[in-house]
Amino acid sequence: MRQPRLSLREQPLPGGQPLAFGAGLLIALIVGTLLLLAAGHDPLKIYSRMFEASLGDPDAWAKTINRAVPLGLAGLAVAVAGSMGLWNIGAEGQIMAGAIAAAWVARIGGDWPGIILISMMLIAAIGGGGVLALGPALARAKLGVNEIITTLMLNEVAIRLVQWLIHGPWKDPDSFNFPLAPMLPDQARLPTLFSRTHFGLLIAVAVIVIASVAVRYTAWGYELRIAGSSEATARYSGISLSKKILTVLVLSGAIAGLAGGIELTGTADRLTETISNGFGFAGIIVAALALMRPSGVAVVALLFGAVQIGGQSIQTLGVSSSVSTILQAFVLFGAIGAGVLSRYRIVLDANTRSIKKEMSDD
Amino acid sequence: MTEASIIGLFVATVSFGALLYLAALGELLAEKAGVLNLGVEGMMAIGAVTAFIIGVELKNPWAALLVAMLSGALLASVHGVFTVGLGAEQVVSGLSLTILGLGLAAYLGKDYVGLPPGAELVPVEWGGLSDLPWIGPIFFNQAPIVYLALLMGIAVSLVLSSTRLGLALRAAGESASSTDSAGHSVLGLRLSAVAAGGALAGASGAYLTLSITPQWAEGLTAGRGWIAVALVIFGAWRPGRVGIGALIFGGTLALKTRLQPFGVEFSPIILSMLPYVLTLAILLIISVRARKRPSPAPFGLGLAYRREER
Repeated sequence: MRQPRLSLREQPLPGGQPLAFGAGLLIALIVGTLLLLAAGHDPLKIYSRMFEASLGDPDAWAKTINRAVPLGLAGLAVAVAGSMGLWNIGAEGQIMAGAIAAAWVARIGGDWPGIILISMMLIAAIGGGGVLALGPALARAKLGVNEIITTLMLNEVAIRLVQWLIHGPWKDPDSFNFPLAPMLPDQARLPTLFSRTHFGLLIAVAVIVIASVAVRYTAWGYELRIAGSSEATARYSGISLSKKILTVLVLSGAIAGLAGGIELTGTADRLTETISNGFGFAGIIVAALALMRPSGVAVVALLFGAVQIGGQSIQTLGVSSSVSTILQAFVLFGAIGAGVLSRYRIVLDANTRSIKKEMSDD
Repeated sequence: MTEASIIGLFVATVSFGALLYLAALGELLAEKAGVLNLGVEGMMAIGAVTAFIIGVELKNPWAALLVAMLSGALLASVHGVFTVGLGAEQVVSGLSLTILGLGLAAYLGKDYVGLPPGAELVPVEWGGLSDLPWIGPIFFNQAPIVYLALLMGIAVSLVLSSTRLGLALRAAGESASSTDSAGHSVLGLRLSAVAAGGALAGASGAYLTLSITPQWAEGLTAGRGWIAVALVIFGAWRPGRVGIGALIFGGTLALKTRLQPFGVEFSPIILSMLPYVLTLAILLIISVRARKRPSPAPFGLGLAYRREER
């Protein structure tokens, strides 16, 4: 009997990650076709609708871009931490913390002029996300507590914080006792660029560019990547690991918080439980597909945004929204698998037991 | 505050505790073998929906439980193939598994939303024991899955601590390369631990739709899978302590909907943060103590093993 084993390729397959993402899309397409056929739909009709709704005209592009903004920023947050080998699983909670902070500013600054109000809201959002990441950052930097679990737990705390605010202290007195936060003041809405694309696009692009340059071309980023590839090397070359961990995780939380602030002022009318809508978790996937490179998150986020918006659009054709969730999962697993296989090949090893048997047979 | 409402609170505490315990035991098995599986929420959802569907179609709760465990194991195996077989990132694969499980559950269950259950696991009568004051209703009049959870806890504990299989499993989680050198298949051990973990998460989901709720709706698992992940840490990777933790966390779930009769002016939402906050506190305590004694986490947790890279 022969056992399969993974062997590192001398060179990764050409095409690398884009190819892996393509393979993921292809697998999702095949699975999706089967699911749709099973449910009695015409796959071609559904797919063309998905394409039209996400990339077919300027309005569709606007929707896709508005979705790509939080996905890209959440992905960036994860990727910045990931460049140093840290896992920020808490972007979901940090997005909500950012939205809470921004909503709080909107509450106290209801009569401020728009530009000041929006700026203050976004700054507060950055702070909110950073504050939620501060705990895990300190715990990891000073005590070595695994950041995966601490950030994961804080997600659940943050969503309940939003629920509590909406059901309690921030409940709109005019909401007929529904658990709704009050509407944002009109001047607290981000201006739009074209169609319904909001100004968040420019902010997100700027932040992604700055972060990419900082990680790729500055001494700070170089130290970050060294610390990510080998702790021992970093320590030997005098890089203060605990300070790096602290700043990187807080920065990561701050970026996610900004995403929450932009989502609130850009697309939401008010603070809701679904303000993050899974963007934080999707951000982990976006970052992983971009191989933790800040420069890669924008493209992946755009593609992912298109898949999500396309998936929403087919609900009007009577296709369950779960089909789009399943498709996303298959894009992920397809891409994960293809990513591994572009770097490794499967070889068959002779099983040790069968070798022994052969030897004793001789 | 009546006696009945206090007893009701404890009954629900044990019942929610068992629900969490099953899923947490599954996660514990996988983690002991070195595989972090963040897909618990998805596996619970798949278990919940398949149990409900089989219940409606076959009217047999035991067949429903069995299918739920099998589908939980099957879904977990996806994570196993990717992380153990291919060595993919466990965090990314686990989160993808949650998305896949929730999506599949919603897809499979869309025609069953709001239907009455076809089969239920009714509380077990223990004769005279069930009639005892307090103890009777709390411990001796629960759904069979509660006793299954207890049995599983004892079984997992015994297997891990006193069998060769358990030793090999723990070794695979501590140091995969030495386990491999000792002639055990790390691949086989880890895959089976992950699949067994999925089966337990599936059983936990089945408990929701066969007894606790008992209906199917999207989002039924409501974040309880994450509590299971937290429980493993809270219980320091020990089946017994995880069981105690399950009762405590189960208590917070039970209290959530039962605060009013006690006349407590306290937001149930704030209370529902408690499991996570407690877990964070325990994590801090573990790590502060870790300076004096080693961390209880399996050493190889989260690390992929590829033979040629050892």
